[in-house]
Amino acid sequence: MLKNYLKIFLKVATQNKLFTFLSLFGISLTIMFVMIFSMTFNKMVKGSGPEKDLKMMLFADHVKTESQGKNRSINTNFLSQSLCENYFKKVTSATITSMYRTDQWAFILNGKHYEKPYMMTDAEFWKVFGFHFLQGRPYTNEDIVNQNHCVVITQSIRNLFFGDEKDVLGKTIRVLQLQLTVTGVVEDPSSASQNISDGIFIPYTVMPWPYGQEPILGPYTVVFKANSKAQFPAIYKEVQDIITRLDRADDQWTITLQGPRNQFEKMMIGWDMSEDIASPIGKFMKYILWGLAFIFLPAVNLMALNFARIRERGEEIAVRKSFGANSGSLRGQFIFENLMLTLIGGVIGIILSFVMITLLGSSLSVPISGFDSVPVGFSFDLKIFGVALISCLIFGLFSGVLPAIRMSKMKPVIYLKGGEK
Amino acid sequence: MIKLENISKTYRTRSVETLALDKINLEVKRGEFVSVMGPSGCGKSTLLNIIGLLDEPDQGKLQLEGNLITGYEDKKTAGMRNHLVGFIFQSFHLIKELDVYDNVELPLLYRKMPAAERKQRVVASLEQVGLSNRMYHYPSQMSGGQCQRAAIARAITGQPRIILADEPTGNLDSKVGHEVMGILTDLNKAGTTIVMVTHDESLAKETHRIIRLFDGRLVG
Ligand SMILES: Nc1ncnc2c1ncn2[C@@H]1O[C@H](COP(=O)(O)OP(=O)(O)OP(=O)(O)O)[C@@H](O)[C@H]1O
Ligand SMILES: [Mg+2]
Repeated sequence: MLKNYLKIFLKVATQNKLFTFLSLFGISLTIMFVMIFSMTFNKMVKGSGPEKDLKMMLFADHVKTESQGKNRSINTNFLSQSLCENYFKKVTSATITSMYRTDQWAFILNGKHYEKPYMMTDAEFWKVFGFHFLQGRPYTNEDIVNQNHCVVITQSIRNLFFGDEKDVLGKTIRVLQLQLTVTGVVEDPSSASQNISDGIFIPYTVMPWPYGQEPILGPYTVVFKANSKAQFPAIYKEVQDIITRLDRADDQWTITLQGPRNQFEKMMIGWDMSEDIASPIGKFMKYILWGLAFIFLPAVNLMALNFARIRERGEEIAVRKSFGANSGSLRGQFIFENLMLTLIGGVIGIILSFVMITLLGSSLSVPISGFDSVPVGFSFDLKIFGVALISCLIFGLFSGVLPAIRMSKMKPVIYLKGGEK
Repeated sequence: MIKLENISKTYRTRSVETLALDKINLEVKRGEFVSVMGPSGCGKSTLLNIIGLLDEPDQGKLQLEGNLITGYEDKKTAGMRNHLVGFIFQSFHLIKELDVYDNVELPLLYRKMPAAERKQRVVASLEQVGLSNRMYHYPSQMSGGQCQRAAIARAITGQPRIILADEPTGNLDSKVGHEVMGILTDLNKAGTTIVMVTHDESLAKETHRIIRLFDGRLVG
């Protein structure tokens, strides 16, 4: 039976080329955008390059202090150096713990103005994130303790500062009044990376945060890396216990910390104060609803096209009914045809999304998380395939079911009149 | 066996009401070959459609092969059409996107039947109408007579007890018309009950009995 449906589908599709083209056009563009969006999202959550173990990481980067009473105030920020050093870096349930802060520096090179990010990190940073060293080595704990003026730079910074020079170890660059010696060169991190900036890395002890030291709030993020997700609850508990202890010891401020949270939660909740307690799943559902709305519009379009074409199939429907098709099998046939169409459109859409990402790459960005849009990324796995398939099914069913019901209810006799052929 | 008691059918459009069939009483015995004649618009097609369960009467009782038709529930009527009757139309109504083989197989696809048996039946019925050499032709690639023979093959492939033919020779010249008539006569001799609408007096005379309709009523 499916063979028969398939034959009819192919014949009708090839005979009505304009319709087929128009519907495939709509479907494939829709699926292309769904794919680009979800692959970028997936890539960010999954991590790649230095963030390849992202799934094993939890981040503490959002602490809040509230004062009760007359001068009521709420402050939210990253973590202070002392909170990181004296408490979080001592969390024992994590396998490795690292702290870092990120900022921007502006400089002029060969008469041109640049603005680049830099990261101030500890030595464990290099164990948490798996950078590929093209040259040299990361700085060590000794470098941190001795406040050695060293720096690890990315490939693109090397090219910027040293041009064609290949061996740059031991050379110095000037960053924010500091003369820093290059100890290593790493490959550029992926542009989809949410935690690592593409620039230079300096021991955090070399340059303290210029805005003073506070006990709780500061500029640092702590990342806890585990060997297995089974450690996560223990890490979570240990961190929250620390916060509870600090909160009890401080009678002026109420201290709370969100998480530590994984990359998905970080992206879903972000820094929005009002969403402190909102569930990341809830936010994710909003994305799904937007996605559905996005599919909905072109699907309505295809539904209209399908309705307009019902009459074309009148004779066939009448014949099928005469020879024993019931309404259910006719509905099945037309839904099948529409699903075939959407699946073909889906395959084209997937291919288009690959082509788009390959051709345009990071110059194309999509608004996904937090502050601004994110360069598209390529990441195809079973989950993404599932998203594409489900999107196609939703598209196909939505645009196909109502026309199919209408078709199956047509009265056969009016299409079986005699007369000239 | 086909039995109609007091069957009436009225078509209503916004402006007109047409009494297409008016209290028809008719019995066609098993193995009979009956022709239906009458002027255009007298209700011949309506009668056939009602017998074939493609249309629902407003009144009256219909019995098909001993089954009294009580309700017109979609699944049930579809199943009965599939098993009990085979339709032949004046303008063939082959599905133009499908080749002869697939067209003839159609009724069998709405049954649970193994592919091998379907194939055997399709081939047998195409042989029976002398069209086995055109199995993979499309309707557009065949003459009217060949199309009608394919349509007959489709009507008999499910081995129904009853064949309902609405002017099967209407679009054919008289020589080809007689060939088609020959096939129908052979089918009838093999035991199939046939009700055939025709305008051709000479063909009607070859059948067992002529039923005449006038303005929705049986006459003569
Ligand atoms: N779907 C319909 N809606 C309204 N009126 C209809 C419909 N079908 C048939 N009629 C009317 O019912 C009457 C009988 O029609 P029917 O098709 O049975 O005639 P017929 O005897 O087969 O004619 P012909 O020899 O021209 O095929 C006609 O007056 C026709 O106008
Ligand atoms: Mg007629």
